[in-house]
Amino acid sequence: MIEELRNKAKELLESGELDVVIGYADGSDSARTTPIFVRNPEDVEKLVVDGRCVNSLPLFLNKRHEYPRKGWKKTGIVGKGCDIRAITQLIAENQLRRDEVYIFGFPCDGVVSHPNNWDGSLNDGNIASKCSDCDVKIPTDADFYPGGTLPDADRSGPYQITAPQVLNLMEMEHSDRFAFWRDSFDRCFKCYACREVCPHCSCNICITDRTQPNWLDQAAHKKGVFAWHMTRAMHLVGRCTGCGECTRACPVDIQVDAFNQHMKDVIQGSFDYKSGYSEEEKPPLITFKVDDREDFIR
Amino acid sequence: MKTATINKSDIDKCIDLLSQADYRVIAPRMQPRLDGPDAIDVQVFQEIQPGEEHAIGNDLATTGIKEFLFVKHEPLFAFEQRGKKVEITPVSHDFPKTVMIGVRPCDAASVRSLDNVFSASNVGYNDELFTKRLEQTSFITYSCTDPDASCFCTSVGLAPDSDRGSDLHMTEIDGDRIHIEVKTETGEVLAQLLEPLFQGEGDAAARKKAGEEVFAKISRIRDSNPIRAWLDDTANFDDEMWQRLGEKCLGCGACTFECPTCHCFDIVDENRGGKGYRVKFWDGCQFDHFTLHASGHNPRDWQYKRYRNRFTCKFKIYQEKFEAQGCVGCGRCIRGCPVNLDITEYMAEVAQKATAPNAVTSD
Repeated sequence: MIEELRNKAKELLESGELDVVIGYADGSDSARTTPIFVRNPEDVEKLVVDGRCVNSLPLFLNKRHEYPRKGWKKTGIVGKGCDIRAITQLIAENQLRRDEVYIFGFPCDGVVSHPNNWDGSLNDGNIASKCSDCDVKIPTDADFYPGGTLPDADRSGPYQITAPQVLNLMEMEHSDRFAFWRDSFDRCFKCYACREVCPHCSCNICITDRTQPNWLDQAAHKKGVFAWHMTRAMHLVGRCTGCGECTRACPVDIQVDAFNQHMKDVIQGSFDYKSGYSEEEKPPLITFKVDDREDFIR
Repeated sequence: MKTATINKSDIDKCIDLLSQADYRVIAPRMQPRLDGPDAIDVQVFQEIQPGEEHAIGNDLATTGIKEFLFVKHEPLFAFEQRGKKVEITPVSHDFPKTVMIGVRPCDAASVRSLDNVFSASNVGYNDELFTKRLEQTSFITYSCTDPDASCFCTSVGLAPDSDRGSDLHMTEIDGDRIHIEVKTETGEVLAQLLEPLFQGEGDAAARKKAGEEVFAKISRIRDSNPIRAWLDDTANFDDEMWQRLGEKCLGCGACTFECPTCHCFDIVDENRGGKGYRVKFWDGCQFDHFTLHASGHNPRDWQYKRYRNRFTCKFKIYQEKFEAQGCVGCGRCIRGCPVNLDITEYMAEVAQKATAPNAVTSD
């Protein structure tokens, strides 16, 4: 599979159709991979595809990351099903045109939950929970797919299963749940890794970085931290495609994607909208439809 | 130098004795988490009461001890606007007598680096909020037993059993005993408190052997010696390496905030309706607005230049300006990086370029 992908990448880089292929390469230790920008056709040999490929690479397609995008006209990108969902969402939000990208899709069995759990292969013991019931193991869209055309896949089942630990959280007493977040947020030092890894954080200047006016306290005290995480979660409502990168990237393991997972359920229930499946359909909170539910207006 | 041994199972009693002597005890502690397949162990330093669970002797804590000395946010004073006048009110800061226990050698070594910044005698600056806290704080360090793949302290002149910055140094010598060394006068005071637990003289030979065994476990070894001279050569400021290795950097602050020696901060007025606080809080050179000028010009306009600054700070600026060690090799910036940007890859490449200046590197 990987050879086929490398050959196609090489062909398109040599022909000049693509300026760059964004993919995964072996990382600095054996349990990790790292994003790589392949410009030289010879370097396609560095591309790898396996259970360690945790990063959501479409973040590099977001216009906010001006560099290294500078000068790229057509970008190749290696994507898991969930990454391609993020690309679709970027297109739906006019952050990207479909003809600006060439998508290398591949069937994905899931990714590892944490590098410490990697033992050379992916198995029931180390697979990330977001992967266990994934409906895009066969991606929704791809220009290249190993073995030829992208097969149709049944996506009628549940989408982006809400993790059991998030459901447990929702069942807690309100005060216990609040205590859980208070303790978690005590660890937050506002490094904004959750923002930087997100393919859908699109603002050139984030609201938390704005000082005139100063909407959110920048310091990592309780107020500033709560304000930041609530704002981040709300700005992603109906847009988050559930890659879980925010939680993975958090250096102090605050499970911030729990908010996003919960809001995903709310949006699906309220608007029957699934983010990342249609390039045409706009996220419900940035559009208006006459048949939108109104029962929340009292 | 006074030595002693205690039973490892008596660590809890150490905490009891220190607390009884009115010390605020800071120790690593496991964090509550949502149970699930993705749950990972997170351990941070927190104030701990006698009888509470701690994680002394576990893996290196996820974050270091700097937030107890260089607090991640603190008010400097309160203000309130009254007509055309602004009234300033001081805020009180307390500097409790503190002992940190279970501090790893890399973290302990970093305290001296921070101290050189915040009480930089060569620039005539003294940050009292830091130095007064440090005066009240003593360190009981604990040699590492199980370094992981990201640890690289031996590449920057430290070791898993280094006692730099330590007042009282503990080393596990066999499964259930701890060798204790008194390193300073403050350590002597602590040792007197812990004396009821002492099981006789220390075992220097066993302690040396334990240190050597752990030293050999460190797998990530780089030569940091040639780095300073290479960075001093201004021609290397525009080396192609910076761009090639650094272009994947996302510009989050995970590495700087987890780093035990990163010390940058910002000061803002948190103003709500004419009153509020002037607050000092952590800032990091990896953020795009860190060097953004009011004119709109940004001298570090692309992310790879910001990482170049981070690397240069650790291996040149720190030594030049503060006569201190910039990097202590704890490896947190490697573990915590979302894109596996690895400072030791820079170290290896610089060492290679420095020793073989004409060598052609692949692009």
